[in-house]
Amino acid sequence: MKFKKKITSRIKQFREELELPQLELAKLVGVSRQTIYYLERGSYNPSLTISFKISEILKKPIHDIFYQEPVIKDILEGKSLAELREVAEIAGISLEKLASLSEIDDEHLTKDFKEDTLIKIALGLGIDFEDLFEKEAEN
Amino acid sequence: MSKEKNSYKGSISSSYKTKELLKNTILLGIIATAGAFFTWWIMLMIFTDGLEKSVVVPIEVTYLVFIIVYSVFITIIVLIYLYNTAYVKNFSYKISEDHIVIKHGVLTKIVATIPYSRIQNINIVNGVFDRMFKTFTVKIETAGSSAAAASAKSGHVKPEGYIPGLKDPKTIEKKIKEMMTKYSAVPSSLEDKIFKPEELAFDNFISYILSKMREGEKLKTSITELREKANLSAADLAEKVGVPLQTINYLAEGRYNPSLALTYKIAEVLHCKIEDLFKLV
Repeated sequence: MKFKKKITSRIKQFREELELPQLELAKLVGVSRQTIYYLERGSYNPSLTISFKISEILKKPIHDIFYQEPVIKDILEGKSLAELREVAEIAGISLEKLASLSEIDDEHLTKDFKEDTLIKIALGLGIDFEDLFEKEAEN
Repeated sequence: MSKEKNSYKGSISSSYKTKELLKNTILLGIIATAGAFFTWWIMLMIFTDGLEKSVVVPIEVTYLVFIIVYSVFITIIVLIYLYNTAYVKNFSYKISEDHIVIKHGVLTKIVATIPYSRIQNINIVNGVFDRMFKTFTVKIETAGSSAAAASAKSGHVKPEGYIPGLKDPKTIEKKIKEMMTKYSAVPSSLEDKIFKPEELAFDNFISYILSKMREGEKLKTSITELREKANLSAADLAEKVGVPLQTINYLAEGRYNPSLALTYKIAEVLHCKIEDLFKLV
């Protein structure tokens, strides 16, 4: 069992540190401004050459600019305490344990959580199980 | 086969006419029947006082509704059948070395040319009526200029090439794929679709020129070494990452610019950093 991950980017933060406007960065990378906009919003999966160019210009390694984050982290952070309590109740676990989901890595996920607990959590959050977790490929 | 050496020509089977006839008869038949009964019922409500005692008009008059509706229905079916006969007669396609040409149209004649470089995927569709007549439809999806923006958002691409009523779609699919691997380059990444010179404003024009100047930059990869170090075959890696073997081979040859998400997946499987996997030279 693994977390389903999505790529989030810190381009905006690093760009602002360098006081580089969106359009300037776009010109330097050689893409349109819209591409940078979509990248900052995280709704676009860039090609590797683009990623390398951005990393070169922002002078940061790729994994600092684009980092993978479990989808569930974002979802849990967007919920209120009352909603989280409800989800914890449905899953039959403590609130602390539910909150720990946004901290742990894949290895701990398999150790700390049973599959049916995760199914119940997904149910409580009202999101498809496959959108939050993925089963590891069989060997 | 045509005289031209490598091209493949064909037309659609006449089962298509029969299939469309059956399909239209059933669909329109249901609509016509429902419509006729509904109108009849309305007429009964307005003109008569129930089935037994007619007040304004005799009940027999209301049956006219069925005659009128069904004669319209039959006329439409016949017209559609005639149209489809002409459609089949006018339809032809040709799979040649650098593009597919589809000629069709009854009143307005259309000659559609689809270059291989723009083909995204080929779907073979086999509907309920298709199955009865053992015919297939081949849909060729492309990244058209107007569809590019929409497809980037929703992932849906409008089919541009549409060849219905085929008896043997596998041959055509094989032929197209054969031509594609033979004559077209590796599928371009999404950036190429976002870059449409005609869509660019002046500031974007500069970035377009810059991007063209940078095109010489290539990716250098150590994917094969890292894979062998991890004791994985190319097929194993492909399976673990969840992509076709072809993609891994292209990557190893440096012929393909992968997406960041794909690169992360590979890096995860091989337990290494992206910078170790690829370098921009």
